[in-house]
Amino acid sequence: MNTEYYPWGGDFTACTPDGSVAVVLLTINYTPPETVAIYGSLKTENIGIEKIIANVISNPHIRFLFLCGEDIRGHRSGSSLIALHKNGIDEQHKIIDAPGAIPYIENLDQNALQRFQQQIEIVDLIGEHDTKKITTLIHQYTAKTTQPFGEPYIAIRIKPETQISINDKRALHSKITINYRGKVKKRG
Amino acid sequence: MFSFTKEQQTLEISGIHIGGQPGKNPTTLIGGLFFKGAPDYDFAEQHLQTMMHLSKKTGNPAIPDFFIKKEDYLQDIITFIETSLPRTQPFCVDIIDSAIKIKTLELLHQKNLLDRTIYNSIHIGITPQERFALQQHPPAAAIIVAFNPKDRSPDGKIEVLENGAHLTDQGLLQIAYSLGIKKILVDTAALAPGENSGAAIAAIPVIKEEYGLPTGCAIHNVVEKSKWLQQFPTAKKSVDASSNASIPLFGGDFAIFGPIEHAEAVFPIIAWYDILISEYTENYFGVNPSDSHPRRKLFQ
Repeated sequence: MNTEYYPWGGDFTACTPDGSVAVVLLTINYTPPETVAIYGSLKTENIGIEKIIANVISNPHIRFLFLCGEDIRGHRSGSSLIALHKNGIDEQHKIIDAPGAIPYIENLDQNALQRFQQQIEIVDLIGEHDTKKITTLIHQYTAKTTQPFGEPYIAIRIKPETQISINDKRALHSKITINYRGKVKKRG
Repeated sequence: MFSFTKEQQTLEISGIHIGGQPGKNPTTLIGGLFFKGAPDYDFAEQHLQTMMHLSKKTGNPAIPDFFIKKEDYLQDIITFIETSLPRTQPFCVDIIDSAIKIKTLELLHQKNLLDRTIYNSIHIGITPQERFALQQHPPAAAIIVAFNPKDRSPDGKIEVLENGAHLTDQGLLQIAYSLGIKKILVDTAALAPGENSGAAIAAIPVIKEEYGLPTGCAIHNVVEKSKWLQQFPTAKKSVDASSNASIPLFGGDFAIFGPIEHAEAVFPIIAWYDILISEYTENYFGVNPSDSHPRRKLFQ
């Protein structure tokens, strides 16, 4: 597998590197077939969505994103992901017309979002629990002839390891100090 | 084990004292009633009794947190609160959906329960309609979740409290105060493992020193979301319960410890750490534990 794929680690399973289908599991107990590129659950309508986008666009072979199962109550993460794909974000980085409680995209730039919109076709199966039907559809989409969408797009990189100095006096935080007894005080 | 230079607020919510310098008041423990499907009130009553018994035995205040996920359940849950909880017992209403939040506030107002209500929660997703409802029917207290999707560090959490991090027109503290909510608890927003989840703990002393407000979090959520821990099913329970100890050890005031059925594991652990903290903070900082502090139970 290309080592650049899926830069944002998390609760997902990578299967076939050149698979064209990725599967988002909402409220459903289902294991997609091994022919998919990647599958995993989605919980939150902000960081969860960002993670899916960053990982999906890192693999140009992925062209279809399935969303299946009941949407996450309150968070409405699946519907918010669809809204993002359709409408993008506003000036405050809020997903336009998203039904979720906190639908903000803060860690991906517009280029990454546009890439997601262009590379991916959403297959909206929100509310679908029939796993046989989902599997059949996945096989149908996997059988379609698709071309990779250019090069991998790396939207986010894990920060390099930082060096810790034993002379670092920040203790818990740059704005507060703490003495040997545990007395906390704001700097300045 | 800390002492803060900033003056610390102790909030009294229907008889329960939350906040202050570490070692003063015991850690308040908030246990969730989540229910799979329709609420099971026999289950709720049984576990509430267990939690209240543990609270009495340890000295740690207990607050039930009612998760209301469907409007269909709202009336029944509020009736249960009204009829089954002790008359002065404070409680949290924990709701994600903004429309259900508004209806809950209206119902709590009709039932004269707002003076015992802790609203869980205000966050950057607050809607104009929710603000209006809070202004019309302000609860006794509110938990503000310092979640900043852009910056999950302690600085990012302070940013949303202070100025809304450009996601809201004002800082969340200012919003809450302007709506007439006088008592505020800050939840440092524990995120999934790998998402700077430790920052929720590191932020506790930072926020306490900055604002002097009662501060805590639901650090249990990090354990619950860990796939890695699933390979250690026996240890997972103890990791879950003990993770809450990091809150008082970092100067925090309350732990939202997850499902109420975990109470039997959580209360003695937290009481134990409260005792250790009190021993130190009394000796070094002169903080006398309150009358109901677990440390006083040690000598009975």
